[in-house]
Amino acid sequence: MLIELKDTTKIYNQGKPNEVTALSDVSLRIEEQTMICLQGASGSGKSTLLAIMGCVFPPTSGSAAIAGKQLSRMPDRFLTIHRRETIGFIFQQFNLLPRLSVLDNITLPLLPLGISPPERKARARKLMEHLSISHRESFPAGQISGGEMQRVAIARALINNQPIILADEPTAHLDSRLSMEFMQIMADLKKEGKTIIIASHDTLVSEHPAIDKIINIKDGRIHVP
Amino acid sequence: MAMIPKGLEKQLNTLDFALSSLWRRKLKNLGIMMVFSLVIFLLGSFQMLTGALTSSADAVLENTPEITIQKMSAGRQEAIPQTYIKKLNSIYGIRAIIPRVWGYYFDESTLANFTVLALDHNAMPNGSKLNLTLSDGHFPKKTETGTAVLGGSVQDILELGDRRVFSLFRPDLSLKSFQVVGIFSKQTDLLTNDLIVMNVDDARDLFAIPTSHVTDLCVYVANPTEIETIAKKIAGLLPDTRVLTKSQIQKTYQVVFSWRSGFASICLLTALVAFAILAWDKASGLSPEEKREIGILKILGWETGDILAVRFWESTLVSALAFIIGCTAAYIHVAFFDASLLKPVMVGWSVIHPPFKLLPTVTLADLLLIFTFSVLPYLGATVIPAWRCSTVPPDSAIR
Repeated sequence: MLIELKDTTKIYNQGKPNEVTALSDVSLRIEEQTMICLQGASGSGKSTLLAIMGCVFPPTSGSAAIAGKQLSRMPDRFLTIHRRETIGFIFQQFNLLPRLSVLDNITLPLLPLGISPPERKARARKLMEHLSISHRESFPAGQISGGEMQRVAIARALINNQPIILADEPTAHLDSRLSMEFMQIMADLKKEGKTIIIASHDTLVSEHPAIDKIINIKDGRIHVP
Repeated sequence: MAMIPKGLEKQLNTLDFALSSLWRRKLKNLGIMMVFSLVIFLLGSFQMLTGALTSSADAVLENTPEITIQKMSAGRQEAIPQTYIKKLNSIYGIRAIIPRVWGYYFDESTLANFTVLALDHNAMPNGSKLNLTLSDGHFPKKTETGTAVLGGSVQDILELGDRRVFSLFRPDLSLKSFQVVGIFSKQTDLLTNDLIVMNVDDARDLFAIPTSHVTDLCVYVANPTEIETIAKKIAGLLPDTRVLTKSQIQKTYQVVFSWRSGFASICLLTALVAFAILAWDKASGLSPEEKREIGILKILGWETGDILAVRFWESTLVSALAFIIGCTAAYIHVAFFDASLLKPVMVGWSVIHPPFKLLPTVTLADLLLIFTFSVLPYLGATVIPAWRCSTVPPDSAIR
């Protein structure tokens, strides 16, 4: 099992007047090479669940095992190391550094790993070619189109060959053609062995044939209709 | 191709990212670097100027007699009879007593004030060493009348050029001619720049001092630890005299430089504090764009230490470059522009002297001092807030 959550609860500002329970007793299991769609209204706890599965922070209680490692009581430094080895992120706003070139944006996760510039470039160029953005290699990331930004974000999420890809509202800023293209890339990645979790309201995502399961979140709990 | 260790490769990657980060915010970083260079320039100029002044003073004071005796009357100095030398013969421990004539000569045509000094340098212990203070020639011998050694700017002010003869007026306005037999070196400019050294008899003649008198007596002592005791004995034997020891004269110089350097230090420290506040505010990476960037890097797997290393490299590069620019500009300011911005503060009394050339001294200690008071506070002012900022949770990037 690649992801296993059991009675996972996350409380922000615990013990303070502004205490908020974002997730409550969530249990789920996600196997390798599956594609999951996470649905839920704004404030439902979707992003918190994504953050726990992304090793951004451990749960307040319950257990969360990602790629064989328990996150509970894991120090921040080891969470970071586990995150960069396991998770590739694709964000709603793409979260690229706009003044950095496309190539430099893609290789960002490799810098703290001590990987040499030639190897970084080689890995990035292979992905750029695969995602058809080689012609934008030296462009500042802020000066390319939305669809190209999305592909740069995908390339960055794949550069370290992590087994899990987490995408938060990846099609929110794309038109339907580009959204379909994005889902096709994800479907191809699933075939290559990746596990993909996409948080999205978009029906183009939830109704895509490559989606294996839809998980609904409501008020911090998994909602079964 | 040789394999680079992972740790070193990681540092090179971090340095590479820091350079590109500096370039991405070039206007802001250029502004900080300019202000920082200016602060280091001021600090460096002040340090080099103080060093130049004190080393010049120390070099010349090295040849100052251990004890100087001056006759006082109604609180003013007057000529001392040479017969006083005999009165001091009874004091054990005195190595030599050398009569000296000195005074000021005001040149009305150039409005310059020269210092005239006359003594038999051959009678001084280590007197031969005095020749080292000359760039050319020798000191007038005891019997060599009508000759003089000139300080650097006396030669210029009298517009001698290649001529080796000049004249000065006696009090009765008759002219007395001198042959130039030596020139002082630049290193002794602080105290010799306005100096004319001549034979004792010539100085008496120039100032119309009776042949039995001189202006003061220079006493050299065999054992340096006995100076204070001997000075007290002299003061007891010659109650109408003022007895000055070498250390008292040195202290006078130190006090003159110390209060000025203290004043300048306060001004510079204020500038440094102001700069530290500016650095904290502007270079701490707390702008929303930079905060967002840190959030993105953290979620992509950068550790707090990696982000801190980038900020450290950025600050080191900015401060190292500012340090080099500031110190180089300070050296040029002191060496080639005569420290024109700070000299009025540090050498206020020089307005009554002919101008003198400063030779800046740069020691490793000076550079370390400047580094400690500029680069280290800057690193602290930038890296500490960056550390606070880099400890923000990475989920800020996915919210």
